Amino acid sequence: MRKFKRGLLAVGLLAGVAFSGVAHAQDNEPIKFGLLQDFTAVYTFVSGEYNQGQQDYLTLINEEGGVDGHMVEAIVRDTGNEPQRGIEAYNRAREEGAILVDFLSTPVSRALVDRVLSDEIVMITALHGRGDASAGETFPYIFPMMATYWSQATVLAQYIKDNEGGLEGKKIALVHIDSPFGREPVPVLEDLAEKEGFELSTFPYPSPGNEQSAVWSEVRRFRPDHVMIWGAGGGQPVSVREAIRNGIPADQIYSVVWLAETDVENVGADVMTGVKRFEAVSTGTDNPILERIQETVIDADLGAGEADNVGTTYYNIGVATMAVAVEAARLALETEGAPLTGPKLKAGFEMIKDFNAERLMPPVTITAADHQGGGAGRVSQWNGEAWEPVGEWGAAYQDVVQMEIDAGAKAFAEGN
Amino acid sequence: MFYRLAGVHHTRYETARALWPIPADRKQVIVAGLIALVAPFFLSTLYLGSYMLPWLIWSSAALSLTLLMGMAGQLHFGFASVMAIGAYTSIHLARLGIPFELALIGAGAMSAVIGTVFGAAALRVKGLYLVIATLAMQYLVDWVIINVPAISGGAQATLRTPEVSFLLFPIESLTSRYYLALGWAALLAVFLMNVKRTSFGRALTAIRDKDFAAAVIGVDPFRYKLMAFFTSSFMGGVTGAMLAFCFYRAVTPEQFSFNVSIQLVAMVLVGGLGSVIGGFLGAAFVLLIPIVLTNFVAGLAASGWLAISSNLLAHVPLMIYGALIIGFLLLEPLGLAKIYDNTRKYFLVWPFRHSRS
Repeated sequence: MRKFKRGLLAVGLLAGVAFSGVAHAQDNEPIKFGLLQDFTAVYTFVSGEYNQGQQDYLTLINEEGGVDGHMVEAIVRDTGNEPQRGIEAYNRAREEGAILVDFLSTPVSRALVDRVLSDEIVMITALHGRGDASAGETFPYIFPMMATYWSQATVLAQYIKDNEGGLEGKKIALVHIDSPFGREPVPVLEDLAEKEGFELSTFPYPSPGNEQSAVWSEVRRFRPDHVMIWGAGGGQPVSVREAIRNGIPADQIYSVVWLAETDVENVGADVMTGVKRFEAVSTGTDNPILERIQETVIDADLGAGEADNVGTTYYNIGVATMAVAVEAARLALETEGAPLTGPKLKAGFEMIKDFNAERLMPPVTITAADHQGGGAGRVSQWNGEAWEPVGEWGAAYQDVVQMEIDAGAKAFAEGN
Repeated sequence: MFYRLAGVHHTRYETARALWPIPADRKQVIVAGLIALVAPFFLSTLYLGSYMLPWLIWSSAALSLTLLMGMAGQLHFGFASVMAIGAYTSIHLARLGIPFELALIGAGAMSAVIGTVFGAAALRVKGLYLVIATLAMQYLVDWVIINVPAISGGAQATLRTPEVSFLLFPIESLTSRYYLALGWAALLAVFLMNVKRTSFGRALTAIRDKDFAAAVIGVDPFRYKLMAFFTSSFMGGVTGAMLAFCFYRAVTPEQFSFNVSIQLVAMVLVGGLGSVIGGFLGAAFVLLIPIVLTNFVAGLAASGWLAISSNLLAHVPLMIYGALIIGFLLLEPLGLAKIYDNTRKYFLVWPFRHSRS
């Protein structure tokens, strides 16, 4: 009997705790973000640091009192880059109340475009997914919110034009992975080639890109003035190494956003010196947000991963995505009030104006029509020790980019 | 006791040769069928749409492949490309306005034809060499899909499925898509069980065991190998169309990559070569266990039982999964179907120890 009584007491206590939890939650319901990414398959080169940055930033916000008192809760799951697992993770996160999802995986994001549109859940596709999702009217709930691959190509071209003696008469080689992602900049660069009078030649290498020697001897025969490399993960250091082996000066190599500290390690810091890349978010810890993360999160042992990663390229990109998302949530709470929903958060995103996350990223203005947020970025160069910016934040040739966005959005609206 | 074998006497050949000669087995199948039929009424959208539906479709794919790998003994490491051909054919046919029922048949036919062409390699090579030949199919089909915008759907390489209806029922809601997938899986299961009892099935078995021995006893390997590829690819093509229309509803090349082929082979092997129930069990194992493990481990971490970095956390499910595969294969190399079979045989004569066969 005594046992029974004790059991009853325990149940009562548990119920009490549960009820008080519910009562508390109603006051300030947490905002839930689903960070359902690929930690184990293809995107491992970025996901770890990226997600760590996202989680650390959310911890910082929560430690500082949340968004108007609302805590931000991250639902983190591995999808293994498999669409069917992404769909499961998405449906589960949605049932748990997530109003924003970030997959950081092009296959998973693509598979879920239609679902998030009909479920009215915000999906951020920073630096992955469909570039044409920048067309906010066709893709109301999808926010690329950083420069698409098209904009990255134009920023790189603009840099060559301004700093390397113009584009006219130049020979530019685009060496890319043979996948939809690798081919993405081709139409924009072709348009620019016609407009600016340079000669563009494209050299695809087979996925995943650990073997590129055949392609690069062709590139050498083409004798390019500048080379753009368009890959991700393990193919990138191979590209840089092969380019240098084939006599292309390091400072004439321009990379898509996916070139970071790990690639430098793989190539060798001294060999890499001079290589330039597109940069969407500044790298390093010299920034008020990063300093606060160090103080409040890392020093308090609340970090989500290794402290060494703080300030790396992909870590900072993760911080920036969450900075924009939290800003959107703050604006949405301010104007639309709690509890937040997908449509309210979407409205919040579209209110973001000249937001630069305390100088971490270029000023972003997201409107109902433009979900890319301007498409700005800059070029940075490996100086032997760090990535050093060599240009100002800015967007380039957005008219050409817009043509691509419109064409893609039109095809999507017609059912593609 | 459970199976009540006492009193089950077959006095006619038909009853002895029935699919389920023992009433208890029949009852189990009926109960399983009923549960599957009413699943949409008691399962939440999450479990119906993210577990049951993909499980049924992947089971269909595993069943299609097990006809080729398990019954006919022809290894195929490019089965995802067969499904890709079916998916893309059906979606393009449906977009041209051809009724969905015909589009499905067209998908199967296209896959069957192309699959048979590559299967012709099996006439010359066996074993690992055939694996390489079918791998070539995987990469060729992938390459063609990615590099021909007319097939893949332009720059974004995404094709969304148009709205269709099957036998006048619109295939739009989750429930209708579930029933269509269930119907196809059931059809394949019944077909496969019956194949084993036909001369076609016996010819496939003869070829699996030794093709020139089969030729000696009058089974034409040329014909039956190609027929195995044709049948299996037809079923795979329709399954690919099911995957596109019932589950993903948008087709991209990555959905049918090499990894998927390997997963399908794993389903067939882990489930048990040539077994129908093995197809279902193998698909559940390969498709659902990683998802369940991921959620389980994440749940453990959230409740404070597992204080490790999020990077390691993401890999723990993989480690458990790998250990599970090794464990199952050590425990029972003939796959999950054999474990089911052993369990059934144990209960067949329970409480006694030994059964016949």
